[in-house]
Parts: sequence; structure tokens; C-alpha cells
Amino acid sequence: MTAVKEFPGIYVKEEDFEEGKILYTMWYPKLRYAWDAGVAIGRYLAELKEGRIIGRKCRKCRRIMVPPRMFCEHCFRPTDEWVYLKDTGTVLTFSLCYVTWDMVRIKEPQIPAVIQIDGASRGMGIMHLLGEVDPQEVRVGMRVKAVWKPPEERTGAITDILYFKPLGK
Amino acid sequence: MAVTEKVEGINKIKAWEGEIPLYARYTLGIAGERFFREIKDNARIMGTKCTRCNILYVPARLYCERCFSKLEDWIEVPPQGEVHTFTILHRDLEDNPLEKPLILAFVKLEGADGGFVHYLGEVEPDEVYIGMKVKAVFKPAEERKGEITDIKYFKPIGG
Repeated sequence: MTAVKEFPGIYVKEEDFEEGKILYTMWYPKLRYAWDAGVAIGRYLAELKEGRIIGRKCRKCRRIMVPPRMFCEHCFRPTDEWVYLKDTGTVLTFSLCYVTWDMVRIKEPQIPAVIQIDGASRGMGIMHLLGEVDPQEVRVGMRVKAVWKPPEERTGAITDILYFKPLGK
Repeated sequence: MAVTEKVEGINKIKAWEGEIPLYARYTLGIAGERFFREIKDNARIMGTKCTRCNILYVPARLYCERCFSKLEDWIEVPPQGEVHTFTILHRDLEDNPLEKPLILAFVKLEGADGGFVHYLGEVEPDEVYIGMKVKAVFKPAEERKGEITDIKYFKPIGG
């Protein structure tokens, strides 16, 4: 097998379109979607708008889960009750990101972390960002607290919490 | 025991809405480019002929889809033909009622083995019939862009 030196076909450049050398049609599909949040996440988002974090408890395994779910995947049965949690927690794991989601290099790192929420079972946490902290001082086990958007700016989204900052700061 | 809970009051957020920002640029290909150029520059409809299968393709194709021969025989087709089938539209793509119904038809072009799905104009819905003779109404040259909408619609011949 010999390697292909050049692919067959006609090569076109952006200028060819701009200069009207090549006919084309643009297609802008309207790809709107609505993702059904369901009962548990729906309530969770609504509570975030009120500045509260809510979880869900399974009476059988006694786990308190956050984000909440209506079904216990351990016990294979519906969960039982809503439990309000604190907006403080512990860093379970984190990363220092010098590249944004769309591959732009940044000098000040973003610090995504999984935060175990106080009041929820061990290991139960939510993924969020850390802020007001020197990246070099972030540690697993660090105690943190949510920094909320002002109530009038909240929309019922996970971003109603701006970030978590070190507790006591 | 069902996993249901009555949704009320506080639980107003039930759906997360978003939009996927996608777009595409479609180029017409070798045969399509020439076909639409002719429409844009000369208001002419061209087909390609497969002499082996005796098929005149309109819109023009580069290859015969039956025998895979390369088609190089470009033939001008008169911009007229007959209504092969049609339908009357009372709603737009978003399901809004239309003020005036639109007539969409497949127009088989004279002497060709193909045609266009296009609008009919200058005719009332109750006057349309299968077999009706129609011809293309082109936009003025300066408004033509090399698109199927360079033809405004087909209108009855003599109408």
C-alpha cells in the first residue's frame, strides 16, 4: 500500500465563498431543546433559587443524597423524604485548570472541585468551582462555604452558587 | 409505590432549556454548481442525459444513478412542465395558520425525467389539477443567487 499523496476532489478556500466563486447554501437549524429536570432535580434547582441546598433521604440505607434523586440505586426503592442541607462542605477532590472548556489558555486557573455537602452522607457531593482562594493553598479536606448570587439574580441553576470559598474567610 | 410526587408551588422549574449552536454550509457539488449557475446567470434549466439508460436527469447529476456512467451531456430543458402531484398548505413550518394557503407541487419538466418540488403561483387552490401545464417564473437577474428560490413559483401556462 502506498500512501495517498493528495486527496482527490476540489479544494475550496474561504475566499472562494466570499468572492462568490462557489455557490452555497447556509443552514441554520434551530436546535432548541428542553431537558426535563424531573421531580428531584426540579426541586433541587428551585431550592437553589431560594438559596438552599436540598437532598433526598432513603430510610432503608439511611443515606442522604445530593443532588437529590427519587430512587435509591443501592436499595432499588423510591427515596422517602426531602432534607435541607447546609451550604458548607468539604473538598473531596479538585483540579487546577489552566485551559477553559473551549480550549483557551488562562493564567489564573479555574478550580473545579467536588464538595461533600454538610448534612449529606459521606462521599455525597456536588461539583462546583472554588474561589477567593490561592490555588496553591487548596487541599483535599478543606472546609468551604457557598457564595451565592444575590437573590434577584438567581435563576434556579447550579450557577446560583457562584463558587465555594474557604470557610472562615 | 410509585416514584411520583405532586409538583406544586416551589417546584416550578421542570425543564432546562437550551440551544445547540450549529450551522452548516452546503456546497452544491460539480453538477449542482453548474446547474444553479445556469439558473442564476441565464435563467436556464439544465439536465444531464444518460444515453445508455435514456434518462434525462433534472436537476442535473454527475453520474447516472442506474448505470453509474459519468454524465457529460448537458441539455437545456424548457422551464415548463406539468403538475405531477400537489398539496395545499394551510399552515407554516411552525404550525401557524397561513393567511393565504400555499400550493406545493411536484412539477415534472417537459422532456425530462425529473422536476422540482416548488410552489404554484398566480392560480387559486381550487383551480389546480394533476396534469396542469405550468411554467417557471424566475426572479429578475439581479435578485438571483443560485438557489432554487431563484424560481419564484410555477404558474399556469396561458394563465
